[in-house]
Amino acid sequence: MPAGDAFTPDQLYDIEKAVRHAEEVSGLHFSVYVGGADSETRPFAIELLNELDDPDHSVLVYVDPAGRRLEIVTGSQAKRQLSDAAAGLAALTMQTSFATGDLTGGLVTGVQQLGAHGHQAPLLHANTEPHKL
Amino acid sequence: MIVEISGHSLLVFVGIPLLVVAVVALLVFAPSIANGPRYRPGLSWWAPPVWINGPTATKPDPANLPELPGAPGATATAGSGVARTTGGASASW
Repeated sequence: MPAGDAFTPDQLYDIEKAVRHAEEVSGLHFSVYVGGADSETRPFAIELLNELDDPDHSVLVYVDPAGRRLEIVTGSQAKRQLSDAAAGLAALTMQTSFATGDLTGGLVTGVQQLGAHGHQAPLLHANTEPHKL
Repeated sequence: MIVEISGHSLLVFVGIPLLVVAVVALLVFAPSIANGPRYRPGLSWWAPPVWINGPTATKPDPANLPELPGAPGATATAGSGVARTTGGASASW
């Protein structure tokens, strides 16, 4: 394989756009890492999450194209908003695209899905006194 | 029987088909040339790691931090060694 970048500028733009959109929708911090792992993928992905500025409120999507592994890691607070079941659904979506060789499409769709699942509906009348008779 | 081939007929019967073949080949290969190598599952990965929306600044190395006054011999436990409960999902393809 010839040397080169993983993504073209257009593809990077699409992924960054999806990440920004997911952050706006959910209020969580999203990060995407594409590359090989030094060790086992899960501990490596958790290490990457801990390197982020606010790991507790972050979601890290780790893709190892060579090892064909995908890890979605949610921080301790982020996992309250984004359940493991929702992360699993997004992982399934990404897995399908990755298997056909579409890394960009899988990441864009998966991150969008994660953002949508992490969306919390605003609490209406949350601070008002209960109605008294 | 001797067939005379003029320059004009050579241009029409060889030049034009070659031109058509070249144009079709260009149209077929242009997208892959423009996009670069494509990811194919099962083959080796060639690109350096990419971290989109990663950490904004590199955190200081805990080993190089100045020692806190009043806490001699205390070892720093904060940093990447902190065990946090994380969630998420895994998949492979």
